[in-house]
Amino acid sequence: MDISLILQMILAAGIASVLYTLIGVAPGTDETAVLAPVTLVLVLTGFEPIVILTFFMAAIIAKKLTDSIPVAVAGIPGGVMSAPMVEHALVLKKHGMPDISIRKMASGSVIGTIIAIPITFILANGLARFSDIITQYTDPIFFFGAIFLALMARNKWVALVSIFPLALLIQGLRHLYWGVGIVPEGETVFISFFLGITIGPVILTLFELLNRDLRSKLNRYNTKTISVKSNWNIKGFPNPFRILTKNETITSSLTSVLGVITFFLSPVGMTILLGEVVSSKIKDPVKKAARAISSMDALTNAAYISGTLIPLIALGLPLSPTALGPAHALFNAPPVFTQDHNLHHILSMSEFLWATIIGAVIAILITYFVTVKYALQICRFVFKRIPHEAMLGLFFGLVLLLAFMDAGWLNIAGVLLIGLVAGVLNRLGVNYGVQFMTLYAAPFIVNNLF
Amino acid sequence: MSDMNQKEPENIEVWEDLVHIKDLGLALLICGIFSLGGYFIAPNNTSDPLFYGLAGAVIGFIISSIVIKPKRSFEESGEEDK
Repeated sequence: MDISLILQMILAAGIASVLYTLIGVAPGTDETAVLAPVTLVLVLTGFEPIVILTFFMAAIIAKKLTDSIPVAVAGIPGGVMSAPMVEHALVLKKHGMPDISIRKMASGSVIGTIIAIPITFILANGLARFSDIITQYTDPIFFFGAIFLALMARNKWVALVSIFPLALLIQGLRHLYWGVGIVPEGETVFISFFLGITIGPVILTLFELLNRDLRSKLNRYNTKTISVKSNWNIKGFPNPFRILTKNETITSSLTSVLGVITFFLSPVGMTILLGEVVSSKIKDPVKKAARAISSMDALTNAAYISGTLIPLIALGLPLSPTALGPAHALFNAPPVFTQDHNLHHILSMSEFLWATIIGAVIAILITYFVTVKYALQICRFVFKRIPHEAMLGLFFGLVLLLAFMDAGWLNIAGVLLIGLVAGVLNRLGVNYGVQFMTLYAAPFIVNNLF
Repeated sequence: MSDMNQKEPENIEVWEDLVHIKDLGLALLICGIFSLGGYFIAPNNTSDPLFYGLAGAVIGFIISSIVIKPKRSFEESGEEDK
């Protein structure tokens, strides 16, 4: 690596940290929706692979650090992953300690990151030995992966049944595009279908808004009132190990290790489960909440890092919910990355390590200190200046763009169709993991299974 | 975009936050036009159209943020409670 490449990596990490510090605060920002399209565009634009990985690592760490801010300040989840923490953060807010809440969560995040990186690399190294065997069975693995994720879901039957119609829809559209000749035969439309699934819930809502009867039945609100106390008591240089008590540090470290090992399971599910386990014995409500949020935040960070890096380093196949969702563009972004030619094949172990370390260190340096010190100012800016409409507009614009690039105007209708179906499935309780896994398994299901 | 509190409540919830239907339509239109517009005006070299499209999306986002007012009211109080 030469100096200019290292400078590019540092710059990419810096930009990612600032960008995702702001995005992390905005309410309702789903991790996949905010990370996948941007990473995808960077990949397709042709940046150096190692720079893209650095950007991505900094982005997830910054995003996970700051999505705890609105939870602590206002009890609003900054993303899907921080939703399980709301209950505990509200306890601290009720006791007038949102500042403690932020410091505990941010410190948990930092510990999760520090612990996850070495264990992830060790585990990935161990798994890499089996990669030749595993990659021979890629197609059935995705199919059984979809079934596995469906069985792990809360609504397992609907998830299980929906795998087949969704696979048929996806393959059906691909064959249609080949048939009418807008896509050359053999070229698989992927990216835009992926994005269609991602913004499915929004597409469904938009369609409902077009129906007069449904529109008039919707709940109407004035404005969302977010009240915070501006007496913050944060001075000096925040040291994560001093902010957490000894017990909190121990349980955060423990949940981080478990988060890494269970990289192939749903991070949200693990967060809810382990958050309860580590805090259930504590009687004092404040101590209980502090223990829960620090451990949960550590776990989400660890799960995201391992969920991205272990499949990437060891296999080159997106075999975890994180890899299928937010980190997806690192595995598959044709024509730049494909299943046989992605970061797994391009980067060496030391390059993976450097990208991760530079991304993590810069994200922590920028975001951790900013988060702990300026949480209130960031919240004020985002809540008062960034309308939710503009965020939705931005995602919508990116989806239109990538849909058009994949297969022209017709594909915009195709993506709307996929979004509509995905949105309905989502509302029925079929989670993203099952749907993304089905997207991968679709050719196998249609061509080989029947 | 005038004073919301004077009128009947008219915001709805989309993806965990409140939006005004007309403003949402406006934002989708602005961002959609700028993203695809950027793509079409770009010089036809390898990855340029995508880059212009992305820039268009960001410009659309900034314009929407200026034109549309967030549907949140942010209240700060300085005193300790309890």
